[in-house]
Order: sequence, then structure tokens, then C-alpha cells
Amino acid sequence: MVLHRYWLHLSTIVLGLASPSWASFENTRVTRSVDLGGSLVYTTTTYNVKALEDGSNVYLFALTEKEQETTSWMEAKVKGHTAPLSLENHGLSHDATYYYSVALPKALDKDQTASLVLETVQAHAAYPFPPEAAQDDRQALKYDTDLFVLSPYKSLTQTIRFNTVGFPILGYTQPKEVAFTTGTIAAKSNSGGAIVFGPFSDLPPSSNTDFIEKHQQKISIFYEFGFPMLAIRSLRRAVEISHWGANLNIQDEIDLYNAGPKLKGQFSRLEHQTQVYQHRQAPHVLTELALQLPAGIHSAYYYDTIGNVSTSHLRIAPSASQGGLPGRSSLLELRPRYPLLGGWNYSFTLGWDSHLGDHAGWDAEKGRHVVGVPIMTLFGGAVVEDAEVKFVLPEASTDVEVFPPFSPSSFSSAMHTTYLDTTGRPLVVFKYKNLTDKHTGIIYIAYKVPLSAHLKKPTAVGIAFFSVFFVAFLWKRVDLNLEK
Amino acid sequence: MSSSLQPDYAAIKELHKTLPPFQPIIPVSLLPYLAYILLTLTFGLAFYFSTLPKGVAKESTVAILASILGGFGTVAMFCTVGVYV
Repeated sequence: MVLHRYWLHLSTIVLGLASPSWASFENTRVTRSVDLGGSLVYTTTTYNVKALEDGSNVYLFALTEKEQETTSWMEAKVKGHTAPLSLENHGLSHDATYYYSVALPKALDKDQTASLVLETVQAHAAYPFPPEAAQDDRQALKYDTDLFVLSPYKSLTQTIRFNTVGFPILGYTQPKEVAFTTGTIAAKSNSGGAIVFGPFSDLPPSSNTDFIEKHQQKISIFYEFGFPMLAIRSLRRAVEISHWGANLNIQDEIDLYNAGPKLKGQFSRLEHQTQVYQHRQAPHVLTELALQLPAGIHSAYYYDTIGNVSTSHLRIAPSASQGGLPGRSSLLELRPRYPLLGGWNYSFTLGWDSHLGDHAGWDAEKGRHVVGVPIMTLFGGAVVEDAEVKFVLPEASTDVEVFPPFSPSSFSSAMHTTYLDTTGRPLVVFKYKNLTDKHTGIIYIAYKVPLSAHLKKPTAVGIAFFSVFFVAFLWKRVDLNLEK
Repeated sequence: MSSSLQPDYAAIKELHKTLPPFQPIIPVSLLPYLAYILLTLTFGLAFYFSTLPKGVAKESTVAILASILGGFGTVAMFCTVGVYV
């Protein structure tokens, strides 16, 4: 089960580590792989565990405070299986460690082994270093973490590997006086794009204040990153459903910014044009974006605070109902009005219409419609700090049920009035924080629309017309002639 | 309204894949023609109304008919010009 860090039904039971049930495992091997990116850092930790007593089935993962703060997505699985395990958040312990537990599909007896994989995505964990860069400088980032992976269980061996996306590692902390090792502490790969810390042997249970104070060390990885560090400060998605027009309109209001190193000095248009002409664009400058939009869309629009932005190219893929291949997407290439250098913002609105039949179906058994709309458009490598998804349903919809892929940080409903409305349309609002490319799920909403609801608009307009006729009717019967 | 997560989510996801696509009551391709015809009739009836002598029955009938046609014609016109109501 995918755990969202703003899980609404959070369990905040503080663990008593003295309980013998938590000492029922031993880590024979812990391997962490950290894929260093820009706004997002991906970690995959593999725990090879051995049961120390019969019937061991609840395993604990430990996170530091910083990991808890930056982690925006987390998933645990048994290695080799696709179905995620259900993670339960136990909150902050008295040892300043956050615990998450999983129930193994099958309890382990003494000396039986299993491999668990914990994947996380951290948002804004890496930061530009130096914080400023000139227009033609390279972009370098720094990632701070701890040397040892915390665990409430003894670990026989532990290794951490840091990988960059094909870019060189420029520097790293060389830990000193490290216990649990007799050989090389850190080794860089031949290509220069990876570094391994460890192996460390015979670590005692480490998720406690005693270990953290005596042995834990901070390490930093300093690496080059060759792509713009994108982040979206806010994303406001509005989805409007029309039954009369059989249309689904999606409109995104995006507040995009470049989280890379801030520009040192003044912006030089000459330098920028020279880089473009010579195809040596500075890596931290965003000049264009390619977005995948749904198939079968039409009437797309893209404008910012100044007006329509014509520097865009939309390649529409036909939807399945239009004879297209399933799974295809339309491609929108857009070029912001100006290049986005580090620290610069760009706010724009992107919207499109699509046939309602491509997103909604009719459930004849329950007499309801079911519509599915993605939470957001994916911006590769970007974190969406604050997202809001609004659904405007047809007027007089009833029995509305919502099915989000994961819990929102808040959910509300209201009424929304727009063209030709009388009683207004139901509005449901989902809010999310720190969405990443792992959060590209679909929200499903089921609702009923009685036939009488479809007649509300024509009736309202008809009454308006009739009132004009009524005024004319009365006007004919008013005699304004002066009597002789 | 109810908020449902796993396993209801898995169920609705599978259901959504199998449902027949939404079909409007009136095909969208007919809306422009419907708008033109209904609004033309509305304006014609409005002109005819203006020529009628006083008579509650006939005036009411013409007004109601024109209003009904105008109501549906306006909704069709809105959808035709891209304001999907």
C-alpha cells in the first residue's frame, strides 16, 4: 500500500522498544542505493532479514527526522513481488526516530529469511552548492545524509551506494574514525558517477540515541547535475464536466520555478542567445518543456499573465474511441516566454477540452456515471509542493462518491455556480502536498444525474425568455394615450 | 460523500475500465444544427407574438412555445460556441 506522508488516519503510538516482539529480526545485509537527482532523490533500501524467533511477522523500518521531513513517497515490498505491503506509521519515538511497520505476508519461523525493499522519494533533499552560479557556470548540488542506515535490529553488514544520472561526483565527505569497518570506507567508481560507503559489519541496533551520538556521522555528496532543477510551487487543477456538451475541460494553473542555483550577476541576453546558437545551453537554465497530455484532446490553450503564449506545439494522439492505440499520449512542447534561470518563476495556465466519453463511463447496474481524471500532468523530475484538484460536477448531481488513489491532505466539498446554473454544481476539492512522479494516480468519482437535472438549464433560460414575453403581454395592455 | 481507498479503489479502477463510454442524450454533432433551428423558430415566434391581437390563450401559447424552444436552443448554442454548460 502506498503511504502518503499526510495519511489521514495516522497512528501516533510511541513505541516501547523494550518490547521483546520488536527484537525478533536480524538484518543479515542492508544495502541502500541513492539515485541523486535535482528536486527529487530516490532511495532503495534492501533489507535481507532473518527471523530470530518463531512467528515473526512485523518488521520495523526506522527513519531519521530529516528523512521523515523530506520523504514524500514511500513503498515497501517483498523483493521480487509487485504488490506493496501496508505501511503503518508509528510516529516519533523517544529516540528521535520515526518508525514504520509492515506485516509480512507470511510469518517467519526462527532462522527463516526474507528480503524487503523500501523505496522512498525525497523532495528538496539536494540543494544547489554553491547557491549562486553565473549564466555559463555548471550546476552542482549537494546531498546531506547519515553514514549508517538506522534500524532497530542488529545489522551484520551494511552498504550505501550513491549514483548520479551519468554526471560526475565532484566531492564527498571522507568519514573519520568510523567503527564497524576495517577496510576502505568510501570507494568511487571508475566512471566517477557512483560512490560506495562500506561495507560496515556487525552494527548493533542503531535507531537509538546512544548509537546516534557515539557512531552516526553526517556525510555529504557533492555532484554535478545537468538538468534544470524544476519545482512547482502551486498547481491548481480544475476539472469541469458537461453532460450537455459531452465535454471534460481540464485547466491547470501552474506556478513553476527553477530551484537551481540563483543567477550570479545580471542576465545577459547576448550570452543566452550565444549559448542557444552554439548548442551549449547552461544545464540549469530551462528553455522549454515537453508535457504528455491525454490522447484525444482538442482546443488546448496556453497563456500566462501577459496573454496567450504562441510558442508551443501540440501533437494530438487520437484516443481509443477515435481509433487510436491505447496507452498513447498527446505531446505538448512549450517554450516559456523567457528562459527560466535559477530562482526565477514562471506562472502560466494550460488547459484543454476532451470528449467526456474518453474519461467517463455509464454504470447501468447502479445508474451512475464514473469519471476518472489524473491528479496532475507529470513534470519530469519536479516536485509539486502544493496541489489542489477541483472537480465541478454536472448541476444537481447526487450520490457523489470519491475514490482518490491515496489520501489527500484535505478534502472538501462546496457548490459552484457558473453559466446557466440555478442551484449550482457540486464541487469537490482535493489538496495534496509534495507530489512527485510517483503520485501520478487517477481520481475516480461516481455520481448520479437524474433526467430532471438535465432540464434545469433549458427551463431556466425558458423562464427568462417567458418573462420577456410576459412584459410584452403587459405592455400591450397599458394605455399611455392622453385622454382628450 | 464518502472517500474510499484500497481495496475500493482497486474495484472502481477495474469497473471504470469495463464501463461503456458516456453518451450524451443528444449527440454533440447535432447541437449546432439544433441551435440554429430552435433559435430561428424562437425569433420567428417572437415576431409572430408581436403581431398578435390581445388574446390570453393565443399569446400564452405562442410565448410558452417560443420560450421552450429558446431554452433548448440557447443551451445548444452555448455548447456549439465552446461554452460547455
